[in-house]
Amino acid sequence: MRVEYINPFVESAYSIMKEVLNTEVTRGDLYLKKSSQPVMGVAAIVGLAGDVEGRVLFDMDENTAIEISSVMNAEKLTEIDDLVKATITELANMITAQAVTKLHDLGFRFDLTPPAIITGQNMKVTDMNVEALIVPFEVPQGKVEINVAIRERS
Amino acid sequence: MKTTSDFPSINERSPDGVNGTGQAYRVLIVDDSMFVTKQISQILSSEGFEIIGTAADGVEGVEKYKELYPNVDLVTMDITMPKMDGVTALEQIVEFDKDAKVVMVSALGKQDLVKKALLAGAKNYIVKPLDRKKVLERVVSVLN
Repeated sequence: MRVEYINPFVESAYSIMKEVLNTEVTRGDLYLKKSSQPVMGVAAIVGLAGDVEGRVLFDMDENTAIEISSVMNAEKLTEIDDLVKATITELANMITAQAVTKLHDLGFRFDLTPPAIITGQNMKVTDMNVEALIVPFEVPQGKVEINVAIRERS
Repeated sequence: MKTTSDFPSINERSPDGVNGTGQAYRVLIVDDSMFVTKQISQILSSEGFEIIGTAADGVEGVEKYKELYPNVDLVTMDITMPKMDGVTALEQIVEFDKDAKVVMVSALGKQDLVKKALLAGAKNYIVKPLDRKKVLERVVSVLN
């Protein structure tokens, strides 16, 4: 997978989280995975289709989703309810929109699907015939992983 | 002691959400995200604006506007929504009321749609992520 696809997501995730959470964001080492990967508990998934195709997953555990949503809503939330889901959806929306703007500027043309939120325990994601690149971020509310699997359309 | 004349009147700024005669500006929020609706609503309410309606898609937004008219001063309009997008809803609102004050709320990367909306009669736009300063600045500039 070409690194040009990844950098815009990494940069956007960094700057949007820094802005909406008003905090320091630390990026861990990124790694590639070919096999199935576990999903932590709350994941927003956005599909891409055009010159490139694939999907981006914003993955975190339940507690992190609740804590992030609490900060973004400026109120203490306690469970994965509709507001938490709407908040994480919006976070994914903002990061993806900024990343896609950068990719469009680089000349890539593709459309996005609206984010869908997946919640549950012991889930895995498998992408056939495409590697996933995982970028871990640490924020005071917990760990957020951006998991990108994109390939050029043949 | 005449405290009022002894101290600077730093607390006497009138809130942004109230017009010259002390009436709250009435706002309709059209957005499919519960999070964004709540965020806009909190920012505007804290400045004295009155949220008189919310709608979760363009069709409902146009209906609500017609229902509330002429007792509505401003609309915040999301762009990407189910059933009917924000630009189409804007066009229908402007067709119904050419003086409608509509502010578009957009994610980054929708410059073409924002431009289309401004040409179709939107008075201003706000790019997400939203913050208090950005929202109030744009909304107030439209009302004044």
